[in-house]
Amino acid sequence: MVDAARHPKVDIRTYTEVERVDGYVGNFKVLLREKSRYVRADRCNGCGECARVCPIEVPNYFDMNLAPRKAAYVPMSQAVPLVYNIDLDACIHCYKCVEACGKLEAIDFSMKDKLVWEDVGAIIVATGFSHFDPSVMPEYGYGRYPNVITAIEMERLNNTAGPTAGNVIRPSDGTNPRRLAIINCVGSRDKHFNPWCSNFCCMYGIKNAVLLKQTYPDMDITIYYMDIRTPSKGYEEFYDRAREMGIRFIQGRPSMITEDPETRNLFVHSEDVTLGRVIEREYDMVMLNQAAVPQPDVDTTSSVLNVTQSPGGWFMEYHPKLRPIDSPNDGVFLAGACQGVKDIPASVAQGSAAASRAGRILHSDQWEIEPIVAVVWEDRCVSAQGKKCGICAKACPYGAIEYEQGKAAHVVTAKCHGCGGCVAECPHNAITQMHFTDAQILAQLHALLAERPEEKILAFRCHWCSYGGADLAGVSHFEYSSNERGLRVMCSARMDADFIYEAFRLGAGAVLYSGCHPQDCNYITGQRLGAARAERLMKAFEKMEMTPGRFRVEWISAAEGDKYARVINEMQAVLNSIPKEKLMEEIERLRPEMEKRARRLREVPQVEEALEYSRQLEIAMVGEEA
Amino acid sequence: MSDKWTPRIVVFQCQYCLYSEADQKWMDTQLPPHIKLIQVPCTGRISPLFVLNAIQGGTDGILISGCQPEKCHYKEGNLGARRQLDAFRRFLTYLGLEEGRIRFAWIDVSERGRIQQELAGLEKTIQAMGPITRLATRAIPVGEKR
Amino acid sequence: MNHQPETFADQVRAIPGGEHLELCYSCGTCVSKCMIQQKVEPEYNPRRLLHKVMIDLDQEAFADKTTWLCSACDLCYPACPQQIHISKVIGAIKQLAVEAGLTTYLQTAVVNELTCVACGLCVEVCPYEAITLVETSVMFRGKAVTVARVDPNRCMACGLCAASCRSASIGLVDKFSNEAVVAELWDWIRSPVVEVTA
Ligand SMILES: Cc1cc2nc3c(=O)[nH]c(=O)nc-3n(C[C@H](O)[C@H](O)[C@H](O)COP(=O)(O)OP(=O)(O)OC[C@H]3O[C@@H](n4cnc5c(N)ncnc54)[C@H](O)[C@@H]3O)c2cc1C
Ligand code: SF4
Ligand code: SF4
Repeated sequence: MVDAARHPKVDIRTYTEVERVDGYVGNFKVLLREKSRYVRADRCNGCGECARVCPIEVPNYFDMNLAPRKAAYVPMSQAVPLVYNIDLDACIHCYKCVEACGKLEAIDFSMKDKLVWEDVGAIIVATGFSHFDPSVMPEYGYGRYPNVITAIEMERLNNTAGPTAGNVIRPSDGTNPRRLAIINCVGSRDKHFNPWCSNFCCMYGIKNAVLLKQTYPDMDITIYYMDIRTPSKGYEEFYDRAREMGIRFIQGRPSMITEDPETRNLFVHSEDVTLGRVIEREYDMVMLNQAAVPQPDVDTTSSVLNVTQSPGGWFMEYHPKLRPIDSPNDGVFLAGACQGVKDIPASVAQGSAAASRAGRILHSDQWEIEPIVAVVWEDRCVSAQGKKCGICAKACPYGAIEYEQGKAAHVVTAKCHGCGGCVAECPHNAITQMHFTDAQILAQLHALLAERPEEKILAFRCHWCSYGGADLAGVSHFEYSSNERGLRVMCSARMDADFIYEAFRLGAGAVLYSGCHPQDCNYITGQRLGAARAERLMKAFEKMEMTPGRFRVEWISAAEGDKYARVINEMQAVLNSIPKEKLMEEIERLRPEMEKRARRLREVPQVEEALEYSRQLEIAMVGEEA
Repeated sequence: MSDKWTPRIVVFQCQYCLYSEADQKWMDTQLPPHIKLIQVPCTGRISPLFVLNAIQGGTDGILISGCQPEKCHYKEGNLGARRQLDAFRRFLTYLGLEEGRIRFAWIDVSERGRIQQELAGLEKTIQAMGPITRLATRAIPVGEKR
Repeated sequence: MNHQPETFADQVRAIPGGEHLELCYSCGTCVSKCMIQQKVEPEYNPRRLLHKVMIDLDQEAFADKTTWLCSACDLCYPACPQQIHISKVIGAIKQLAVEAGLTTYLQTAVVNELTCVACGLCVEVCPYEAITLVETSVMFRGKAVTVARVDPNRCMACGLCAASCRSASIGLVDKFSNEAVVAELWDWIRSPVVEVTA
């Protein structure tokens, strides 16, 4: 930290919050709120006279409230920069500090928060994690029994710079505990609270046990665990060492802690899974390894940076395997525990990687993006004609569309990731997607349904998941009906209702609408957009009394080749079950309605040319008479 | 009344009653001879007949110890016991039995040492009342022929 | 597609309540939350029973005392970190055991049909709906005599019926029968330590 502060090219802004981020990769504008300390950084020399004279004491958050601090304070002795701070919530305005500061005149009660805009090329988010509050689990008595403490409190107690100078004592009576229980997975791996594994508590539990055993060799330490997870280099060896030192491990999740009201000793009830028997053991102190949870303000950070969250509230990476450091928002990178719980070595590795990813942007004058982007036909956009709309802007998962009534919607190309959601949602067909234009897709559709369409199963597949599923079905030799015809788009968000109507107008026997499972979507919320549309379509077809099963919606991952094959075969079975005349009758009955609903498609630029082209193709394929 | 008088007490305990291990051990092995522990599957099993027998046999105090509401091993046995035995207690009071002789204790496993407190509390109440006189009429079991 | 033969675990899962069985990661919370092992039956272990199901040891699961002893008090359910409704899973195992022709090893409640007047009090108090009033083949004044009857596979032997019966016609046997408890009481009352003096 001190090194970083000294570096000529590193500018650290502490006590500062990011309020707003505009712009895009390479050209962000960031609004910073520099909160006022009521002490002027340019004058304070960190002597601490103000804190010495301040009469007000409040619990020190940094010491987990185990020790006091003054209203004039630095959060910790290694703070960078070493500038004091006045806690106005606690201050009684006695102005003793002003006196003590004397000629330096660093204390200034009239200071106001400062708002500044900064230009930045890339952003790294490293906001870390927070701690689960075990007092919501009454069975462990945290908050009720003084000698039940959390791991982070133990970290402070067992720290020579901590409130007790490293003397580990029982809060109830100040004696050194002789018997200590450490309980793992408190609030982790628990569906009532946090289903995830908090990743580092097994190891820091063992670390604390080893450190304590070194300082207090007579201390009797027992770790209660469900599974011990030692997944990195040297960790298993460390676990071995802990056992060699005499630290006990009991497999079994305690169901309850009770307290002797006189001695304040604690009794831990658990099953010893190895023995298959319930045991109750007495301890002087219990340490709870509480779950790591996202920061409480994670939603604000998410919306300011336009970075989405994975289930649970951790920031979502672009791709879990291939782009684990990039966020879905280009130019914003993730490092450390904010992206998912990880220990220090992993956090540092990810931080270094994020820095070099960000460096690539800062060192380039040009930035390449995928060419699959949305483009607005400005003359068709109704907003340009003064009407209220903005549907596209709402559909975009990346906030890439700038909408203002009276002006044509504008796609910020650098932000567009090419899901095609806006293209499909626009009711006026005023947006198209490069490389997946309406015309191109229509041409494919016509070609696929050129011959005996009533026998065909037209399958819309998303590039990342169901297309992969179909691919896997192929390479795995899962047999499925040869009447299936696949049509690839980037995301289920791109599967325009018009395409489905057009397919049925052309007489398709059945249509499959398939994409990723919601949590797998490559475009954050693209699948949700597609799913909502599919639901509307399903209802519409129900109303039209279409035979159930002719239109089907399925979410199929790239690993579910078997599911892809099964779905297609089931659809084939549906087709087989409808008598041919009845099917033809239904197709004819619905054709006018489909025609009506798909009519807008014909207005789209280039569609006529494309259709002419595909007609030629058909003729080449099946002869003039088709 | 002589100081040497020790009250006789019967404790009806449900076999799942949530005492901690240490307390249960104390109940099983260290109970003084003037206190009799009778275990039943559930407080709901305690028939008024048992209470009547104890009273008529001259027991000075009765402690009925069960699990807390919602924590009954048989879903609602303790609630049934409470309803039935409380009504029975009121009936005995009507017949002239002093109120404090029958005591209920609904104990949770986290309440270490509560059973000892309850017993001591009952004993104190009874000491103040003296030996049972009302209703302690028979020297043979209810239902048995004289 | 890939149809595998139905396993024992599948059978348990197919019964409502048995679904989430496979989520159990053997933490043992349920075992230490439950009082049966600590107080009554050292072999009682729901965690192990669930594991037996998962590895298809159906006969062992049926023979496990846990299958028959769980009284569905649901102390464990709110404690299970995997939110498995353990008593329902055990109920499903028990149902399969009963279907396989097994019966409980518990000493369940018995009715004295000669004195039962079919007042129905016991039917009301039974937490397990194990008691029904049934007509016997005995005729009295032109009508079939009705008596209470206990379904041994539902009865958990809590004794609530015994405490409620006004004619002492239903009850537990052996240790927890009216006679045994009253006798134990009187043994103590008559014992020299506490000789009746009143
Ligand atoms: C009790 C305990 C013991 C541990 N022991 C070990 C150990 O021995 N070895 C090990 O490898 N790991 C250990 N860990 C894990 C270690 O703490 C984490 O791996 C590490 O802290 C993650 O680093 P980070 O930088 O991602 O997040 P953090 O350390 O959480 O840092 C995030 C920072 O961002 C700041 N911040 C948050 N929100 C904002 C915002 N909106 N604006 C500006 N700043 C913000 C926070 O104030 C904080 O300073 C332990 C964890 C615990 C709980
Ligand atoms: S790291 Fe260990 S203690 Fe922490 S949640 Fe995972 S399994 Fe539990
Ligand atoms: S508490 Fe739940 S997860 Fe744990 S052993 Fe019991 S059933 Fe399994």
